[in-house]
Amino acid sequence: MSVRRVAVLFATVMVVGAACNAAAPTPTATPAPVATATAAPAGCVVGVSWNNYQEERWAKWDEPALKAAIEAGGGTYISNDAASSEETQASNIENLQTQGAQVLVVLAQNTSAVLPSVDAAIDAGIPVIAYDRLIESPRVLYTSFNNVEVGRMIAREIFALVPSGNYVIIKGNGADANSDFLRGGMEEIIGAAVTAGDINIVGETYTDNWTPSLAQTEMENFLTAANNDVQAVLSENDGMAGGVVAALEAQGLAGDVPVGGQDGDLAALNRVALGTQVVSVWKDARLLGDATGKAAIALCSDPDPSHVAGTATFHTPGDNDVAGILLDPLPVTKDNLSAVLDAGWITEEVLCQGVAAGTVTGCP
Amino acid sequence: MTQAGAPTIGLRDRFRSIEIDTRLLGMFGVLAVIWIGFHIMSNGNFITPRNLWNLSVQSASIGIMATGMVLIIVSRNIDLSVGAQLGFVGYTMAMLQTVWIPISLGMGLDQPFTWILTVVFGLAVGALIGLIQGFVVAYGGVPSFIVTLGGLLVWRGLIFQYAQGQTLAPLDSTFRLLGGGPAGSIGEVGSWAIGLVAIAGIIYTLFANRRRRRRYGFVFRPKWAELALGVIGTLAVLAAVWVVNSYGWPEQLAHDLYDRLGLPWPPGGVFLPVGIAYPVIIMLAVGLLMTYLTTRRRFGRNVFAIGGNPDAAVLSGINVRRTIMLTFGLMGVLAAISAVVQTARLNAAVTGLGVSNELDVISAAVIGGTSLSGGIGTIPGAILGAVVMQSLRSGMVILKFDSPVQDIVVGIVLVTAVGFDALLRRRST
Repeated sequence: MSVRRVAVLFATVMVVGAACNAAAPTPTATPAPVATATAAPAGCVVGVSWNNYQEERWAKWDEPALKAAIEAGGGTYISNDAASSEETQASNIENLQTQGAQVLVVLAQNTSAVLPSVDAAIDAGIPVIAYDRLIESPRVLYTSFNNVEVGRMIAREIFALVPSGNYVIIKGNGADANSDFLRGGMEEIIGAAVTAGDINIVGETYTDNWTPSLAQTEMENFLTAANNDVQAVLSENDGMAGGVVAALEAQGLAGDVPVGGQDGDLAALNRVALGTQVVSVWKDARLLGDATGKAAIALCSDPDPSHVAGTATFHTPGDNDVAGILLDPLPVTKDNLSAVLDAGWITEEVLCQGVAAGTVTGCP
Repeated sequence: MTQAGAPTIGLRDRFRSIEIDTRLLGMFGVLAVIWIGFHIMSNGNFITPRNLWNLSVQSASIGIMATGMVLIIVSRNIDLSVGAQLGFVGYTMAMLQTVWIPISLGMGLDQPFTWILTVVFGLAVGALIGLIQGFVVAYGGVPSFIVTLGGLLVWRGLIFQYAQGQTLAPLDSTFRLLGGGPAGSIGEVGSWAIGLVAIAGIIYTLFANRRRRRRYGFVFRPKWAELALGVIGTLAVLAAVWVVNSYGWPEQLAHDLYDRLGLPWPPGGVFLPVGIAYPVIIMLAVGLLMTYLTTRRRFGRNVFAIGGNPDAAVLSGINVRRTIMLTFGLMGVLAAISAVVQTARLNAAVTGLGVSNELDVISAAVIGGTSLSGGIGTIPGAILGAVVMQSLRSGMVILKFDSPVQDIVVGIVLVTAVGFDALLRRRST
């Protein structure tokens, strides 16, 4: 029995080992043809390191726009996927360079663990763009949406409806810097009213892993503690806003208490049409891909990030001044639902499910 | 020192002689301390009908799964994949009711049969997943820790693969009732009916046990103890029903209901008792069935025999492999039931559904007195464990503790509970 087990184990190791060996040469085998291509003066090779291509967003929205912008600028697009591993991403970044990449676009798995690879590339004269997630180095170009602005937008829409009263704030994961960026943006809008005593925050909490069902429980408990005396809810994303709305529905308050979120989740946009959520701040990933692709082409001829059109200095939490292109997202409310329809982000069928005829512009 | 210890042991012995589970009694004591503590700290906001009703619904999903985890752990296994199973089944059921039935089959939304079809399909998928894992554990000889760790990755990965980050919502309107809420509750009369049945059940069980014990010549409790148990049980049931019936429909919802029924809204408002929520009824039914299964059926006894001494179990002719496989199948079904409750409650299926639930479920079972070394554990204990955990979490949210602090407290409570339990067990043997 044990002999057989050892044999099975051994066989497994052999197979896995063989698979690794088979996989390893492929990236190193490709550089030759690509390298000759780069010898031609015209083409600019842009290498993109995705941290996790499995997520819908990157494959469906970011990559096509990024690739189109690079190719429109006469460049060549090459990429690989780190499958959520810091180590794989480090070797992927090296592989892209051996494949002849002249500019790197990195969607970092880990914003600090990726630093050594990024530094090595920049030292070798290859400019690096930190895509969507910040990399703490003053020498990169950072392209992302303005997350502080997202927080401001959520708060702005809600504050316009509820200038005074009891607020609940459902924050995302405590370990995620974005939670605090968003909260910071909200503070800029409602802070003065809170100090003046017009707004009373009756509940505020981080939510592990941005889990919607946890947000629902939190909201139920806040409603219980405040005896339903809640006038507005700021949720840091749409998933959690869904949990909040479910909790409000159980008290018959959905639609009466304004709720704000972000992401442009299809279910959330449907809620905006239904009136149970006031705003979903939408970050069109295609705009980010497009802007980044253009920036990459520009870096090919001039590697200084601050010379790229549209950059502004961004002061990072790690106390670095980085050249950044920060796009403004779009707050989607009942009044501009056509924007998401026109962009092909959502179908009318999904957006308008359950919406009474003639109540919302954009729905039949 | 020995003198101080003597009377407590005497008390324990006396409790043992009247067959009271001191452990369970202790847990009720702990729960009372937690509730009263939070009640005082929140200025009287904890022990209210509304909060206790909320608490019962919030505990349901973990409580349901914890009953199955007891059997798994008792037989010296573990299931780390329950959260991922829940997520997978929940997402599949949501696909069925938002895409496959209405769009792929072209039947439209909110069909009357959608909910039952969804539930049956979900339970079948859950059973299948559980049986596959159980088969690999029992017949493949792979440790359950590894099989279910792999399962966690596989089921979770499958969700990400085919969900592609998309939230499925809203769900079927009948299905949603299974998640609770005032509309998803049985109401005043139904709650009293359930209460009366429960009281009848308690009295019948006490009598039947006494008769059986007498027939076999076992010792049985003195009359006063039986009477006291009956009275306490009856009072507890009455109190619970009274509490859930003291929580009224939120005014806005009641108003909507009257409008829908075409009734005039009475000037002074109206008090509609909510009653027991469906998820809680499901949890109680599951708890009852599982208790019956573990204490009265051969399957349950076999599970405990395997946990107590696997070699002896084999030698005494128990089909160990089949039994182990079935415990995992059962766990899969229970995870599917919890998936129904969670998705119906949230009115959506999200890709993160059930993330880290396995830890809550295992914690509930262990706080409820299930021993990780096998052979020991009770169903009521596990459900109570789930309620204790949820009480801590809810109370801390009401006191505005942030989630990291909650995690720290729950972690310390878990280790303390198990450590204390181990200490007591060492002393008693």
